[in-house]
Amino acid sequence: MKTLSVLGSEIRKNWRYMLVNGVLFALLFQVAMLIALMVRFQAFPNYTTFYNWPEAVSVIIQSTPSIRDMAPIIWEEWLIEIGRMNYDYGTGISEWSLNVIPSRLLVLFFVGAMVSLCLAMVRRDTCQSGMSNTLRATTGVGTLLIAMTNATMSWVVCCATPTWVVGLAMLGLGVSSSLALEQLGPVLSGAGFVLLTAMIIGLAWRRARNDRDPEGVLAHA
Amino acid sequence: MKTFLKTTLTSTALVPLAFAAWAEEITIAIGHQSMCTDTYTAGIVVKELGLLEKYLPTDGEYADAEWNITWSDYSSGGPITNQMLANKLNIGVMGDYPLIVNGAKFQETDSLRSIYVAGTGYNLKGSGNAIVVPVESDIYSIDQLRGKSVSTPVGSAAWGMLLKAMQDNDMPAGEYVLKNQSPAVGAANIAAGKIDAHSDFCPWSEIMEFRGTGRKIYDGSETGVPYLHGVVVREDFAKEYPEVIEAFLKAVIEAGDWIREDPMRAVTEMEGWTGVEKEVLYLYFSEGGHLTLEPTIKQAWVDALKFNHGVLVKEKAIPPLDFDAWITEDYIKAAYADMGLDYEADKAVVVDPAEANMGLPMEIWHARDGVSTYPTMPDFLTAVAAMNGTGAKLNATYVYDIETGLKLFGKTAFWVKAGDEYATFLRKGEAEAYAAANSGAVITFDEAIADFVTEG
Repeated sequence: MKTLSVLGSEIRKNWRYMLVNGVLFALLFQVAMLIALMVRFQAFPNYTTFYNWPEAVSVIIQSTPSIRDMAPIIWEEWLIEIGRMNYDYGTGISEWSLNVIPSRLLVLFFVGAMVSLCLAMVRRDTCQSGMSNTLRATTGVGTLLIAMTNATMSWVVCCATPTWVVGLAMLGLGVSSSLALEQLGPVLSGAGFVLLTAMIIGLAWRRARNDRDPEGVLAHA
Repeated sequence: MKTFLKTTLTSTALVPLAFAAWAEEITIAIGHQSMCTDTYTAGIVVKELGLLEKYLPTDGEYADAEWNITWSDYSSGGPITNQMLANKLNIGVMGDYPLIVNGAKFQETDSLRSIYVAGTGYNLKGSGNAIVVPVESDIYSIDQLRGKSVSTPVGSAAWGMLLKAMQDNDMPAGEYVLKNQSPAVGAANIAAGKIDAHSDFCPWSEIMEFRGTGRKIYDGSETGVPYLHGVVVREDFAKEYPEVIEAFLKAVIEAGDWIREDPMRAVTEMEGWTGVEKEVLYLYFSEGGHLTLEPTIKQAWVDALKFNHGVLVKEKAIPPLDFDAWITEDYIKAAYADMGLDYEADKAVVVDPAEANMGLPMEIWHARDGVSTYPTMPDFLTAVAAMNGTGAKLNATYVYDIETGLKLFGKTAFWVKAGDEYATFLRKGEAEAYAAANSGAVITFDEAIADFVTEG
């Protein structure tokens, strides 16, 4: 109970910081993906398409009888597509693109907010510097897992949709291995969230324990 | 106050009536692929000729209907399925592998279903997909790909064909490097010699051959698995507007008739609509071409789709697909009946290029005079030599592979001269075997033409 109260207090104290960092993280991640695509394919994007996301969501809600089916379909709806069209053949074929997907922006916002909370708590944590580094590294691993599995780059291989493994394929991982890993996306993403959540709760618990027994721990002795 | 109330009440009562009097707007959203030849009869041709509009119902409950028809062009089938799931498309046209992904993805949901209502065209043996190497490459057969890099658009029909081809040739995945590349990138890499081989679907291999950048070493027909395309529809849309689906399928049938009526006119028009060279399209849509335009659903097609599903299950673990629930002949049968056509008769016919193309004449596409036909090889070569002699521009020449009956560009075929006889082949190995068996020699197209150049 004390842990939850500490956590609530930390969130209240840092909510602006969390909000700003969440938004920044989500936006900067899009920029990073676009830069990665441009570097990988040595070309600038030459087309941008905006999609009416609210209308698309409205259509999905109206035409999908099962609520359970709605979420995964809405989850894949795009807001913006920025990419490179190859006009050498036919009327043009999109070779690669970055797809800005609101559902992923939301996930990335939460990651950014959680990371900023983690870091704020680590900074205030009275542990040894070695432990502090471990905590930061754990935060980093959690963030990496979530960010990696929420990448929305599309390398327009036929019949493909934006998938997180495109990032791995771009780095040179084999197609079969990438496809095998694709199934693990939700698991890896979930693991990342579990790590971050565990970190936050762990830090709150330590703070609660220290508050109860202020002499029990040496602060950077 | 009394008047105001009266007016308000009357207006309120009239609002629903006014709505009822308005014509119902019915949106028909179709996803097609202008860079996939086998989809044209349910896509670009129907769109550009306005054939759907021609067959849409105008009486009964549709008497006041206002049609809002939208066409969206995609470079592959996957996004069409996603858009259908989101109900932004009602009808989609795509190749065999994407089709089964479509069916499986819909059946994976609790409340949504798609149905496979008709084919667009097929090649019995699987031509349309092919493996191509750079034109200067010293690779001539699939077994030479051991240890080499092969790219393909993963998830496409060409990918499925590549996997099957490699399995048939005892080449496990570890013995070659599979790369994921889009058609345009694969074609560009073949042109630049950056990849050892590229496997792609129709008409990419022929585009590369026509442009002189690539050479086929393996044709999809060698897998023996039919290559087909078809039409899928959201089931809720089909149930609400069955007449619209029938109208669409009538348009598909008429699109096929329009192409068969005058292939040269058709491919010339289609070049303008799609940007794909007409000479390449002619390879598909002319008599003896790769594609048999026919929308019936044959048992062999169902078997092929089941086989493809098995391949995908092995590779990507896609969801199961209940084929009986997914495939329905009701709409295409109704369309045939309305047009006074015999569905069962068409369904019973299966065109095998090896038999159907036997004895078909060779063709020359003269830039000014159009296509002319030649029943024998000497006639054909004499005509080519004569036209070359006058400096005439030839768009393309067409011959047939002796082994498969596949229509080929004259310039990309392997030629064998045995005595006074000439024969043409898709693959070098078979050409060499034929030459050895008939005391002949493998020659180039130019050498064959040179034999018929007359002095003066």
